[in-house]
Amino acid sequence: MLADGRLPTGGHTQSAGLEPAVRAGLGADGKQPADVGAYARDRLRTVTRTEAAVAVLARHYANAQAITTEADKPSPAGTSGTEPFVMASRFVQLESAWAARTPSRALRTASRRQGRAYLRLAERVWPDVLQHLPRDSEIARPLVIGAIGAVTGLSPEQVARLVAYDDAQTVIAASLKLLPGDPAVAVTWLAALHDDIERLVNDVAPLTDIDKIPAAGAPLIDQFAEQHAIERMRLFHA
Amino acid sequence: MPDTTRPDGTTRSFRLGVAGPVGTGKSSLIATICRELADELRLGVITNDIYTDEDARLLRSAGVLDPERIRAVETGACPHTAIRDDVTPNLIAVEDLERDFAPLDVVLVESGGDNLTATFSPALVDAQIFVLDVAGGGDVARKGGPGIARADLLVVNKTDLAQYVGVDVPQMVADAEAARDGKPVLALSRHDPESVASLKEWVLAMTKIVRGGGHTPVDPGPMAPHSHTDENGVMISHTHAHSH
Repeated sequence: MLADGRLPTGGHTQSAGLEPAVRAGLGADGKQPADVGAYARDRLRTVTRTEAAVAVLARHYANAQAITTEADKPSPAGTSGTEPFVMASRFVQLESAWAARTPSRALRTASRRQGRAYLRLAERVWPDVLQHLPRDSEIARPLVIGAIGAVTGLSPEQVARLVAYDDAQTVIAASLKLLPGDPAVAVTWLAALHDDIERLVNDVAPLTDIDKIPAAGAPLIDQFAEQHAIERMRLFHA
Repeated sequence: MPDTTRPDGTTRSFRLGVAGPVGTGKSSLIATICRELADELRLGVITNDIYTDEDARLLRSAGVLDPERIRAVETGACPHTAIRDDVTPNLIAVEDLERDFAPLDVVLVESGGDNLTATFSPALVDAQIFVLDVAGGGDVARKGGPGIARADLLVVNKTDLAQYVGVDVPQMVADAEAARDGKPVLALSRHDPESVASLKEWVLAMTKIVRGGGHTPVDPGPMAPHSHTDENGVMISHTHAHSH
């Protein structure tokens, strides 16, 4: 379900940065297949690797929460009805670690908007997520994915694969709107990313240490995102 | 009864959708509503444009509403999805607008222009207006479709152009009424004060009904429950299958 683009979480508004990249010239030389596939691959090696690692950590923390010390527990939602929900400090630290590795404010904003969309759906479908995260709040998408993964019993590999596949599929699907092409050909680009996705999964799934979250940046993606946020005439939010 | 109070205690607005094909005058209709009602109701507007903010800019430049109360939502080239299959980004925008300018009476949600099947999910709006125009052809109303047949109000817009495009407005309205099983049809021109007054009256009446809890959002999609307005302007909801 989580890997299905039809899940109502606003996925249709996202291009994983492809729209500003196309605006900056990607695909303009007529070599769209190579360009779009290479762009998705670059993401898998940089920003998406960070996202997936954060999701894996979030799943780990959510699963471990039952055995954390009393002081580290969040205040349960809805027990008093008046006290605001406080996220466990480990989740706060994880959000900070993610933010430190996501230098573009536009990308942080977009991710938190997406996280909120997932959280709203989770509140209805997997309400146990609210034991870990405050309802209807702007929290980085990988934290929300990780928490959903924990309450739905996903393995770390599944969580990492989900983030990686979703990112690649977002790029490929958006390319159909942004560049001329044959949808079946686009699926072949996605299939060709299989090995890259599995490499990412193998690398990040074992992570349990917040300091080991990869920090390989992609300055052009950040720059494109910042430009896109102030651009008029957008098809996609980010 | 619609839930008009949110968990945080703030009051929810009447959410009114405006849908219809491209170029039929949705933005202009919203500008008219804002111009006529901004003094009586606290309004907000969400636009869904193909390219982000064209409609929002048009409305802001029309000067009919505080520009900060007009927000644009991206639809990723999927205007139909944004108002029906996945309303999440629009719903977040509506709720944030209600929160930032609380309390609002009415939030107007403008769909990106789409085809005759694009109607709002009841998860996003409480009631919806479907807009056609005479310039799109006099036979469009006869074609029917969920928006034409079951929106809470059908507007036949730009009646002032009818003489130039060879459309018989009374016939087009009669076709629409036949397709709508008695639900209201409004022949509108922004240059015709009487028709504008009727539009204003409908919005005010609907606002009162919805905010009073007397209206259940209906889905114009196939086989869904739907509502009628009787001669006294009272909304009646049905769940029976249509005979037509």
